[in-house]
Amino acid sequence: MNGPLIVQSDKTLLLEVDHELADACRRAIAPFAELERAPEHIHTYRLTPLGLWNARAAGHDAEQVVDALVEFSRYPVPHALLVDIAETMDRYGRLTLSKHPAHGLVLTTTDRPVLEEILRSKRVAPLVGTRIDPDTVAVHPSERGQIKQTLLKLGWPAEDLAGYVDGEAHPIELAEDGWALRPYQKQAVENFWHGGSGVVVLPCGAGKTLVGAGSMAQAKATTLILVTNTVSARQWKHELIKRTSLTEEEIGEYSGTRKEIRPVTIATYQVLTTRRKGVYPHLELFDSRDWGLIVYDEVHLLPAPVFKFTADLQARRRLGLTATLVREDGRESDVFSLIGPKRFDAPWKEIEAQGYIAPADCVEVRVNLTDAERLAYATAEAEEKYRFCATTETKRKVTEAIVRRFAGQQILVIGQYIDQLDELGEHLNAPVIKGETSNAQREKLFESFRQGEISVLVVSKVANFSIDLPEATVAIQVSGTFGSRQEEAQRLGRVLRPKADGHQAHFYSVVARDTLDQDFAAHRQRFLAEQGYAYRIMDATELLAEEA
Amino acid sequence: MSSDEKPSAPRSLAEALRTRDDASLAALLRARPDLVTPVPTDLTQLATRAGTRASVVRALEHLDRFTLQTAEALAVAAEPAAYEELLGLMAGDARDAAVVAALPGAVAVLREQALLWGDDDRLRLVRTARELLAPSPQHPSPTGLGPSVREATAGMSPGRIQEIVTAAGLASTHDSVSAVTALASLFGDRRRMSALLAEAPAESLEVLERLVWGPPYGQVTADPAARLRWLLDRGLLLPTAPGTVVMPREVALHLRGGHAHRRPEPVPPAVEAAAARRPQVVDAAAAGQAYTALATVEELLKDWDEGGPAVLRAGGLSQRDLKRTAVALDLSEPMAAFWVELAYAAGLIASDGEADERYAATPFFDEWVERPPAERWVLLAQAWLAGTRTPGLIGGRDAKERTLSALGPGLDRSAAPEVRRRVLTLLAGLPEGTAPTAESVLARLAWERPLRGPQRDDDLRSRLARWTLSEAELLGITGRGALSSQARALLGAAAHPHGPATDEGTGSAQGTGSPQGVGFPQGPGDKLPFHHHAVPAHAPGLLSPAERAVASAAAVRLLAPLLPEPLDHVLLQADLTAVAPGPLHRPLADVLGVLADVESKGGATVYRFTPGSVRRALDAGRTASDLHAFLAEHSRTPVPQPLTYLIDDVARRHGHLRVGAASAYVRCDDDAMLNEILADKRAAALRLRRLAPTVLAAQADPAALLDGLRAMGFAPAAESAEGDVLITRADAHRSPPRTAPEPVPEGPPVPDGMLLSAAIRAIRAGDLASTAPRKPVEDAIAQAPGALPRTSPADTLATMQAAVLTGEAVWIGYVNAEGSASQRVIAPVRVEGGFVTAYDHTADEVRTYPLHRITGVAELADDEA
Repeated sequence: MNGPLIVQSDKTLLLEVDHELADACRRAIAPFAELERAPEHIHTYRLTPLGLWNARAAGHDAEQVVDALVEFSRYPVPHALLVDIAETMDRYGRLTLSKHPAHGLVLTTTDRPVLEEILRSKRVAPLVGTRIDPDTVAVHPSERGQIKQTLLKLGWPAEDLAGYVDGEAHPIELAEDGWALRPYQKQAVENFWHGGSGVVVLPCGAGKTLVGAGSMAQAKATTLILVTNTVSARQWKHELIKRTSLTEEEIGEYSGTRKEIRPVTIATYQVLTTRRKGVYPHLELFDSRDWGLIVYDEVHLLPAPVFKFTADLQARRRLGLTATLVREDGRESDVFSLIGPKRFDAPWKEIEAQGYIAPADCVEVRVNLTDAERLAYATAEAEEKYRFCATTETKRKVTEAIVRRFAGQQILVIGQYIDQLDELGEHLNAPVIKGETSNAQREKLFESFRQGEISVLVVSKVANFSIDLPEATVAIQVSGTFGSRQEEAQRLGRVLRPKADGHQAHFYSVVARDTLDQDFAAHRQRFLAEQGYAYRIMDATELLAEEA
Repeated sequence: MSSDEKPSAPRSLAEALRTRDDASLAALLRARPDLVTPVPTDLTQLATRAGTRASVVRALEHLDRFTLQTAEALAVAAEPAAYEELLGLMAGDARDAAVVAALPGAVAVLREQALLWGDDDRLRLVRTARELLAPSPQHPSPTGLGPSVREATAGMSPGRIQEIVTAAGLASTHDSVSAVTALASLFGDRRRMSALLAEAPAESLEVLERLVWGPPYGQVTADPAARLRWLLDRGLLLPTAPGTVVMPREVALHLRGGHAHRRPEPVPPAVEAAAARRPQVVDAAAAGQAYTALATVEELLKDWDEGGPAVLRAGGLSQRDLKRTAVALDLSEPMAAFWVELAYAAGLIASDGEADERYAATPFFDEWVERPPAERWVLLAQAWLAGTRTPGLIGGRDAKERTLSALGPGLDRSAAPEVRRRVLTLLAGLPEGTAPTAESVLARLAWERPLRGPQRDDDLRSRLARWTLSEAELLGITGRGALSSQARALLGAAAHPHGPATDEGTGSAQGTGSPQGVGFPQGPGDKLPFHHHAVPAHAPGLLSPAERAVASAAAVRLLAPLLPEPLDHVLLQADLTAVAPGPLHRPLADVLGVLADVESKGGATVYRFTPGSVRRALDAGRTASDLHAFLAEHSRTPVPQPLTYLIDDVARRHGHLRVGAASAYVRCDDDAMLNEILADKRAAALRLRRLAPTVLAAQADPAALLDGLRAMGFAPAAESAEGDVLITRADAHRSPPRTAPEPVPEGPPVPDGMLLSAAIRAIRAGDLASTAPRKPVEDAIAQAPGALPRTSPADTLATMQAAVLTGEAVWIGYVNAEGSASQRVIAPVRVEGGFVTAYDHTADEVRTYPLHRITGVAELADDEA
């Protein structure tokens, strides 16, 4: 009766990490509980119907779940919760989607009243065809995703046994010369392949691209990779050429500028969602080849039209990659039902402990607005307020001080407002990369930063994602997109690539005290704080004084 | 009966009672307490009362199934019946061993309860009981037996009886009575009867087979088929009414092998085990639930702390308030209703009795909450055990289709405590850690207190039993279905299974019909409201207050070590949460509850610090350094820096702006002068306070302040809201906007032409009515001038009709609905349906008058028209 786990009646599980049984317990509950927060002492897991159903899909039954809870629980587990778990898990598998030799895709049930119940639902009716026998109903193959999503919402998740198409075969091998997939990457590829489709969650800098490459090497089929922007597309291409048997000719780029369709095609979300006369002309890309695997990079940014189209792609294997599956629009569950359940998740601090990402020192520097700025802030229109406080003059001084302190290291200054960035660039004598900077220019600047020719780079939010700058050790955030948690995590991710000499990364967030900026900052930091990144708070005056 | 000398057999129940000793009479009165209210004057009166229908019905309802079956068998036996005959009816010709063993007990119970009297060779059921239990066409007996041959042949023609007797192979007799007796004894004789039936055609036997277990009645046509004819001829079926036949009791008993019941149930059904767990697991699970129960009740009271929901006019909690409470507690509504009712039953909440009545915690709650958790639980559990309120009914409707609301009227079921105790006693009879199946518990209860009439599974006792099982789990009386040892202790002696199976069989008298628990007059058992009986003090069952205290103490001792030990520390984390990995000491929990928001509850509590929550703590009078010290003291981990900053940041701004009320102020650029004012004793009445070096705030109004300062020798100037000096001289006193008064002329205004002409016309018409010379009315007594004309109704009608024809005006007397009389001059236009429609000269319009209101009519003098 002294286990590491406390089962709460609201279905959260609290795991005391310093307990000697914590690791065993973590392994026991990981298959069915979602890790919600992982701060330093107590990790919070949550039992959700989705998580329980995924556990069922992976072959765990209610008895195992109950046993794991009862075994590790410190206090008696509420009886109602155990009953609820058994009931929830029992709902899975009453309905199955499968291939019928004569009727194609069919939905069958082992429990006729359930089928009757769901067929009465208005949302299911348009998705199904004729009733073949009392326990079977035909489903339009194109509605496979839709019906799964709908049934999930109705609380009767269908087990999908209809399988995947193999797609057009294409030889892809990992070229492991002098490097190898890390254990967790291997595990991620394995879990994904075993599960068929799903999402892999790894911290920034932990090598998600390689998980993609590993999966492609498993699939050995033509692959469509969807990425956020052109620079990222180029990096994928570069990495694939370097890490796999693929050659330059086999990889196509499908972006605003180039429209190549090759066995491995990398497309940007932007081009897919370009809309002309009410139609999305580039969505045809999905049908242009018999893809065997579709990889969604930064799946937390998946735009709505792609969601819709993904629903129709249920017969193809789908891999989602992300560092932060938090969507401010709350559509996480759509990601899970359309791309697939979470197949692999590693807490940031765990990867850091294994030495694959650099340890980071996160500091929030609080600056005071000057009296004049305070007055301006107080009188500003609501929509202008954040801009006023986020671009305060003091931030520039603090930024300069930090840059001076880390002179000689590779420093990124990241911000939201172009004027602010331009001004900073001018004062720091550093180039600025923003939306209007051409791709060629961007790549050139990134390259010289990588080479150490320039040590300070000022970037706007275009560099939030997928920009591989392994040498950056210090990031200074001067403003951001309001309270976006995933943006904060992504920006920290810019400096988390492991350093050659193993030294620490620094992440400074400069925040104006007693303003909206501070409220947003608190919200932004929440994800990282829950991942165990404890922010240190410093006063600007302190920082400037240290300098002097 | 154990009397020394063998008395002659008693001839009545009263005599039988007279032979009983005191202990035995006491047992009777304990089992049937309704007999002592009021105390009967003598045994004859007691016997009479014991024979009244209401009392007998009540006694029968408290019998277990086997004893009731025994009584039913006696009701179909001869009167008086020998024990052997009864045994034959119950145990059958085969003499079922279990029945043979159980029957003496059942007979003893019936005898003790004065439902049965007489020696073993002359057993007599009390007449009322016999009437209630004997089969009749209107009330078929559960035995399924029909009337005896004698009853069925009553009223049959002697000739027909003789025919039957002859057909059955008996010698004809000289009278019907002896014939019937002969027939009955034939049917009762197994050997001769078998011989008779051996001759029966197979189809006829099939007919008998169908009727044997009842109902014994069948339909026949006027011309019965041969197989029926064969049976009718021999009296194996006897006609009761045209087209209906009945199988005589003796025939059925023969075919049944002597059994009065298809399934005699001498042994109570066993309570089956559904699962067996280690007792420690059960106790821990129950303790966990007990802890949840305490937390839930506390949370409920906390939710209602600053004003609970309003009391409905009819009493109780509105559906909306229940819903809101359920949401606040994160429970379903029935669950919330259960906890609300439990808190009420335990005396923790009550109506505050104010004009707008609301529910509120009672002073007892404050006392309760300070007790150790185990004691708190025992109080709740005892309140539940003893309570007659049944939360399971909430949301249903009463007999008048009114919704039953939580805390409202109509929820008391006096059977509830007894059923609860009985269910738990059954659970206690199982080995420790064993959970029973609900069905077997229900079956056992149904055996102990069978329903008379058709068996249903939704009767009140079954529902109460089901609620008991689920509520016991909620409350932590049971853990995963099995009775916990702390609950065992709480039930005390009553929980121990008493006696062997036979004793259990008769146990309903001693065990379930616990004298105190149900020891009050009771109608159908569940309808009487609770407050009619002064029983709550005894309701927890067989235990005396002293025993109960011992049982409670034992339960507390067992439970206390199982409840989580309160902690004095929390874990603080950098994501601004604090986790209490177990229950906290109350003062710590209280402070933390103010300083942080609760995010998750259960075994542990997760708190989140927000600027709002920290501000709340500061508002509650704590300082930042208090809070730092508090966290440092109670955190097992270093206080994370962001939390320190959060508190400092909020504290830095907290109270930065100060708000207060003042009636006036004094300002002066010279602070020396303000010092002087403050120092002056005469300024005390002005209640001045220094806000800043140059500003004083006063609680006196500006005028008083001015006067006060002037009196002290200063020369203050008043200031307007804009800060200008007010010049007093300029503003004379003014009223609010007013309109000038209307002039009051000497007389009324001069009327205009139209008004005048209308007035004149009215005056003239009135004049006409009062002064018109009229023709004398023939048969009227001479009338005083101004009196109403009086004519007979017939004259009135004739005169009116004539006036319609001539178009002349007439003079009438009229009494209106209020009874006031008037005179009018009218020109009738139409007379019909008892109404006169006429042009009324007096009112100058067409009106309708009911004829019966017209006192009389007179023609006008000719000269006028």
